[in-house]
Amino acid sequence: MKLSYQWISQYVDLHDVSPEALAELLTRAGLEVEAVTARNQGVRGVVVGEVLDCQPHPNADRLRVCTVNVGAAEPSIIVCGASNVAVGQKVPTALPGAELPGGSIGVAKLRGVASHGMLCSAEELGLETKLLGKEQTEGLYLLPADAPVGADLVAYLHLDDVVLDIGLTPNRSDCLSIRGLAHEIAALLDRPTTFPERRTPTTEGPSPVSIRIETPLCARYEAQVFDGVAVGPSPVWMQMRLMAMGIRPISLPVDITNYVMLEWGQPLHAFDLDTVRQQTIVVRAGRAGETLVTLDGETRKLDEDTLVISDAERAIGIAGVMGGQNSEITAGTKSVVLESAAFDAVSVRRTGQRLGLKSEAQQRFEKGIDPNAITGALVRATELFAELTGATPVGAPVCVDGPGTKLSMAARAVPFQPARCNMLLGTDHGPELMRDVFRRLGFAVETETDDQWRVLVPPRRPDVVLEADLVEEVGRIAGYAAIPSTLPATSTTVGYRPPLQVLSRRTRNVLMAVGMNEVVTYTLTHPREVDALRVPADSPYRSMIPLLHPMSEERTALRTHMLPSLAEVARYNLAHGVSGGAIFEVGRVYWPTELPLRQQPCEHLQWAGLWFGELEPAVGERARPYDFYDAKGAIETWLEALGWLDDARFVPVRMHWLHPGRSAEVQILGQRVGTFGEVHPETAAALDIRRAVYAEFDLERLQALTKAEWKVQRLPKYPASRRDLAVLVDVGVPVQALLDAARDAAAEASILENCALFDIYQGKGVAEGQKSVAVAFRYRADDRTLTDDEIVQVEQRIVRAWADQFGATLRTV
Amino acid sequence: MNITDWIASLQSLRDRALGELADAQDMRQLDEWRVQYLGKKSDLTQISRQMGQLPAEERPVLGEHVNQVRSVLQDALTKKQEALHAAELERRFAAETIDVTAPGRRKPRGSMHPLTQIIEEIVEIFVAMGYEVAEGPEVETDEYNFEKLNLPKHHPARDMQDTFYLTESLLLRTQTSPMQVRTMERMRPNVPVKVIAPGKVYRRDEDDATHSHMFHQIEGLVVGEGIRMSDLKGTLELFARSVFGADQTVRLRPSFFPFTEPSAELDIRCTNCGGSGCRMCKDTGWLEILGCGMVHPRVLDGAGYDSRRFSGFAFGMGPERIAMLKYGIEDIRLLYQNDLRLLRQFHRVL
Repeated sequence: MKLSYQWISQYVDLHDVSPEALAELLTRAGLEVEAVTARNQGVRGVVVGEVLDCQPHPNADRLRVCTVNVGAAEPSIIVCGASNVAVGQKVPTALPGAELPGGSIGVAKLRGVASHGMLCSAEELGLETKLLGKEQTEGLYLLPADAPVGADLVAYLHLDDVVLDIGLTPNRSDCLSIRGLAHEIAALLDRPTTFPERRTPTTEGPSPVSIRIETPLCARYEAQVFDGVAVGPSPVWMQMRLMAMGIRPISLPVDITNYVMLEWGQPLHAFDLDTVRQQTIVVRAGRAGETLVTLDGETRKLDEDTLVISDAERAIGIAGVMGGQNSEITAGTKSVVLESAAFDAVSVRRTGQRLGLKSEAQQRFEKGIDPNAITGALVRATELFAELTGATPVGAPVCVDGPGTKLSMAARAVPFQPARCNMLLGTDHGPELMRDVFRRLGFAVETETDDQWRVLVPPRRPDVVLEADLVEEVGRIAGYAAIPSTLPATSTTVGYRPPLQVLSRRTRNVLMAVGMNEVVTYTLTHPREVDALRVPADSPYRSMIPLLHPMSEERTALRTHMLPSLAEVARYNLAHGVSGGAIFEVGRVYWPTELPLRQQPCEHLQWAGLWFGELEPAVGERARPYDFYDAKGAIETWLEALGWLDDARFVPVRMHWLHPGRSAEVQILGQRVGTFGEVHPETAAALDIRRAVYAEFDLERLQALTKAEWKVQRLPKYPASRRDLAVLVDVGVPVQALLDAARDAAAEASILENCALFDIYQGKGVAEGQKSVAVAFRYRADDRTLTDDEIVQVEQRIVRAWADQFGATLRTV
Repeated sequence: MNITDWIASLQSLRDRALGELADAQDMRQLDEWRVQYLGKKSDLTQISRQMGQLPAEERPVLGEHVNQVRSVLQDALTKKQEALHAAELERRFAAETIDVTAPGRRKPRGSMHPLTQIIEEIVEIFVAMGYEVAEGPEVETDEYNFEKLNLPKHHPARDMQDTFYLTESLLLRTQTSPMQVRTMERMRPNVPVKVIAPGKVYRRDEDDATHSHMFHQIEGLVVGEGIRMSDLKGTLELFARSVFGADQTVRLRPSFFPFTEPSAELDIRCTNCGGSGCRMCKDTGWLEILGCGMVHPRVLDGAGYDSRRFSGFAFGMGPERIAMLKYGIEDIRLLYQNDLRLLRQFHRVL
């Protein structure tokens, strides 16, 4: 909502309140002023000139040499390049020394002719060109024929105004009008409003128009008919006020309806009475198949949910939203019927939404209008019609109430307890202060008991309905600064994080500690992203929940898989000169139970990691691509930190998006908690990330597992013996199988404390198809120092087991 | 030889020994020297042994001279040993000197996303104040996202947030406020309710420097008997001081949210200019950082807490904005671009 400082000053005394101070006052009261803009963008020394003569420039085809009467003894010679300049016009004339938003004006020679000033366009004057018609913005800004020659343009155009741009919250529909804002500002300043005397209808006699309301969605319809309307431009002052408030001037009758709407908050509509068949106006529901061409030239389909204004035969307007072209005010209009009505807020809003319209009228209706303004606005418009168009009002205004709920013109009684008000605010305001707040707001107070009041809220404030609303008014007008800082006096509570939150935090911390960078990606993606995963057509990963109305073509559905999200990050970074990275995200995937969606989907918490590109080499090392074991190392560290590593088993697995020979699932207590591996080359190619390793782990499943209680192991009393074994086996034999077999073979003796891989080798010296596996064994007993014999016995058992199970042969070096 | 000759010979022995000692270059030579001059077969020992040939009264005199020379030589040896040892260490150090300016052998540190860091920091403040952390669904029902928050269908205030709908009744939550209702419904009739709920939210906005179709919110809710708006102010003041510095001051400014009444925006002193006015705060000296208010009686009643008996406050803040203010990030899209050159700057422990 824009607010003209000049206009509001008519209704509240602001002689000692600057526009900036007013802006601060409103902002502190909850009407946030987003901008304070002077309408005069730097115009000074510009006057109304009259073009007396206009000759071609001797040296330039496109320039004209004009003789302009500026009210001085001698006319000025001014060179002008505008194509619309003509003798007899009144034009804004910047004399030498004048200031314009674009700079100052002097005497300048243009192609050999001295120009004593400049004739100005709307843009050069800094006017809101987007609110002006084409004929007013192309070439000179032509002034009305009655503009007084020599008059200062700033004064003539009322440019000495400042506009406050208020970001109104949707509850304050009362402030969608100058009068409403005047009430608010008067309350804030504790000053009276200075509205003119309340006007009453002055016209009498039967009205030529008859009104019928056939729907409960229109509570009241008032109308006034005029005859002898002269349609032309509205006076400059009215045009300028409309422009200050961001409204485009159109023609006098239309401008009057807009002007009164801005002043009173009550939307009005003017119909050409001669087009209203049988001079009958019917407010009714639309009919199936009915259409109407609205003022913007669009053909609109009406339906039973549309509130329609019609004449005896056809629709002539969509109530509260937009009028019809068939009843529009035109240059030839002589008789006008002016509508001032109360339409149902929800109905108007739904119709506007359905038609994609958001008119000024609609915005006011959908937020609720002041029933007391219906008549006031009509009377005010009648006055302006008579005064400015020369029209004669015909008959008394017609006023018809609808068949539904009657409009309530009376104040609303809201119970109010001063003590509760102070409790809720945490303040210590006295009852007198509260009474004073209500007096300033124009709310009457009835005292039942000292602590039980009834506050009478006028209908112009539809937002004040409950005691809490009154509490806000007291807090707001007395100032939120009066609210002290305290802490809740509740019983002590213990802070708590749910287990899944704790697990997510730990996961983040560990992955960060192993050198991974956390990312946060968009969860909205495109279904085609799943194609790269190579999953079959009926895969649940393809069941993505689509948005009804996506914002972009790229983000149309909720992700079911995190690889595409991480791949996007990898792609971006590789394209920006980053050689590689290890990234992870703790985030959700969205798995619907059925599509189309009927209930909330499963939002599954995962962490996913992607190791892409090259590992940044340490000094003296060579850069190398991330591989499977980089990922596995991070995963092992993560599992170790969570206490699950000893229970975890890594088992080869086939996932559509992973390399079948280089991928594993992690099982804990027999459950798969995640999978990882090198990204399938075709997936990598489709995602355009070259080689990468991807991991995803199900945090919810891991969280659900029960962990055995854990205690430290006692420190050993006797020394350990380390022995190494190197064997040759087929390349296909998994290391894990060798280690498991060794532990099994040694189990009975129970002196094998630990065995671990320390080298694996293929190549020179090892036969094709074989690999050398070196394992370190640590033997220890907890009650004695071991003898060589004991160890050798166990060792031989291990070697035998390996030979039997895997055909392993001891490797002699 | 008489005693004078013995003494003379002792002195020449001493001089010779000291001379040779001075020339010794290493521990081996030193050891030879020790054997030669202080050993069992050394001249000095020989002299002591031959002392018997002297008259009895002269023996102590010579003995004293012998001891003196021995002690001089012994001291000289010790000194020389120390000197040689020091020199040898010096040589070794020189040989072993490395370039300390060359980089260390480091494990690369990872990083936590700036949004996670901010969210964690804020959540931790409230956990320390006894709040429970709650997380809820991002795919919400219209009922929880709007209706139970005093935003019936066709309410104009719905225009404040453009919504991604999935079906007529399911949507991507536009705010974390549904967690207010979900928490109260879970907790009723118990008080106090103290919950902090971080999470992702979605708005149908075009992505630009200040808008993102997906972003985060942190919702706070306290419900109990006698909860006051001043409690809200005090709590948020603690929060602001903890995040933005101990000298922060806050102010409440009236505003509107359908689910709180009274409603307010919370401003902090501009973190850029400290309140004197600058471009960042549009010369107001204040920065708006969150919306808050007293839980609307309809929301309380709807969630099962009688608004005549209980009251509560709620607030909702945007960690993106706070991260941008704190770290000087000027475009919200940078937070979702995941440029490792930016993320790696968050290696530091904040």
